[in-house]
Amino acid sequence: MNSHYNNERSLIMHIDLNSCFATVEQQARPMLRGKPVAIVNRRTEHTAIVTASYEAKAFGVKVGMKLRDARLLVPDIIALESDPAKYRYVYHRLLAIMQDYSAHVTMKSIDEGVIDFHNTTADIAGRDLVEIGHEIKQRLKDEIGVWMRCNVGISTNRFLAKTAAGLHKPDGLDEINHQNLREVYKSLKLTDLTGIAAHNAARLNAVGIYTPLEFLDADPVTLRRIVFKSIVGEQWHQRLRGWEVDDRSSDVKRVGRQYVLDRFDLSFDDILKRLHHLSETVGSRMRGQGKAARGIYVYVRTLERRYWHASFMSSTSFYTDKTIFMLARQLFVHAPKGIREIGIHCYELQSITRSQVSIFEDSIVREQHITSTIDSINTRYGERTIHSADTLGTGIYVRTKIPFGSTRYL
Amino acid sequence: MNDESFSETFLNERVQVVAVFGGGYHPCRPVRFRRASGREITVTELGLRHPQANGQRMLHIFDVTDGGADYRLEFDAERLTWHLTMEADHYE
Repeated sequence: MNSHYNNERSLIMHIDLNSCFATVEQQARPMLRGKPVAIVNRRTEHTAIVTASYEAKAFGVKVGMKLRDARLLVPDIIALESDPAKYRYVYHRLLAIMQDYSAHVTMKSIDEGVIDFHNTTADIAGRDLVEIGHEIKQRLKDEIGVWMRCNVGISTNRFLAKTAAGLHKPDGLDEINHQNLREVYKSLKLTDLTGIAAHNAARLNAVGIYTPLEFLDADPVTLRRIVFKSIVGEQWHQRLRGWEVDDRSSDVKRVGRQYVLDRFDLSFDDILKRLHHLSETVGSRMRGQGKAARGIYVYVRTLERRYWHASFMSSTSFYTDKTIFMLARQLFVHAPKGIREIGIHCYELQSITRSQVSIFEDSIVREQHITSTIDSINTRYGERTIHSADTLGTGIYVRTKIPFGSTRYL
Repeated sequence: MNDESFSETFLNERVQVVAVFGGGYHPCRPVRFRRASGREITVTELGLRHPQANGQRMLHIFDVTDGGADYRLEFDAERLTWHLTMEADHYE
């Protein structure tokens, strides 16, 4: 374990698009530039804001705020429905730009990614990363559009690079290294640190740590044994000093989808149709990854904010829409009344080749053939060209939105 | 949808388009289009062009403005047709 600050050259760059979806809409629609814009998944007063433009944020509008509440702050806020195809395009353009500088690029979500400049070409390695950061900013404007802006953070590890990218929003470019590390921490609150929200802050407060500087100076043994009670404490000790502990990728562990009901007075049958629609999407995504599942989990959030869930673990794996919905429906019959949100996840994923073999092989093979044929038709003619008759009317409600925090389906 | 701050109209109107195919990052740029009513609109800025696949059929979506309103033009790369699918006015 390193007890000193990492004084190596900064070779990690974090790039974060500013208010991504709102900025992309302002890029696409020039008449929206300079105006307060909110992106929502559904244009109702009760809907939550997914992204707000900087003009809206200046009035106090925040992500997650109800549109109705945002209108109290900014009566003329322009609410637009999210347009995933546009954001996917910008994501792929950004990714292509980043990959011009290194083979080691990791997208953390639809609007942020990391370039690792270790092991890049001699030409790139010989250049100043601050200069490359400015070049990427300019390329975003040239290759996508003049309104595009991004924050760039440079440091020795992913955590500090992300912290640097958040220092001067919008359109900032900062480096954190061993020389200015303490100075930067001095300007931040504990909860400004990625990974330190209220719960972790309370743990730190309990041992007298109230600032990032006190966190930095904390003894690793205290962090491990008292604060985090695991190796996580030592990882924080390293992370805060600029040593890399976050360079790891995770396998797909589950595939899921959730949906806030379009109306809260729907009959149980209508809710089941929406669950069926979600089951078809989950099945399609899972098969797209070449995966089958053994576990299924359904959940409900009620209007009284109660959480209910049920799960089932099968002895054989499954991946067809029919089986996923059959299992989900069996679990769902015990769901409480007054439903606000439904969700379904498939887990214990494994390769699709080993799946669904049992004594009922004939009927299962037939079901697999039908599923494969439907997938081929939908790939050729478009998503949901063929789907169950049960979900004929649900498409206008249960539309695919942007998956935050995952780039798996982009 | 219309609210107090702006109006947005969704259409599926076949339009005639003059486009320039050149080089650079935006190799296809619509510069002018004529609506079914005969009204001609001159594009002053291409906001964004993005592809949208519908199965294996590819649409290219062009968000453009004439300086007074924003428009969405869709070019069907299979049928070689242009449609105006959205018009939005943003009030001050």
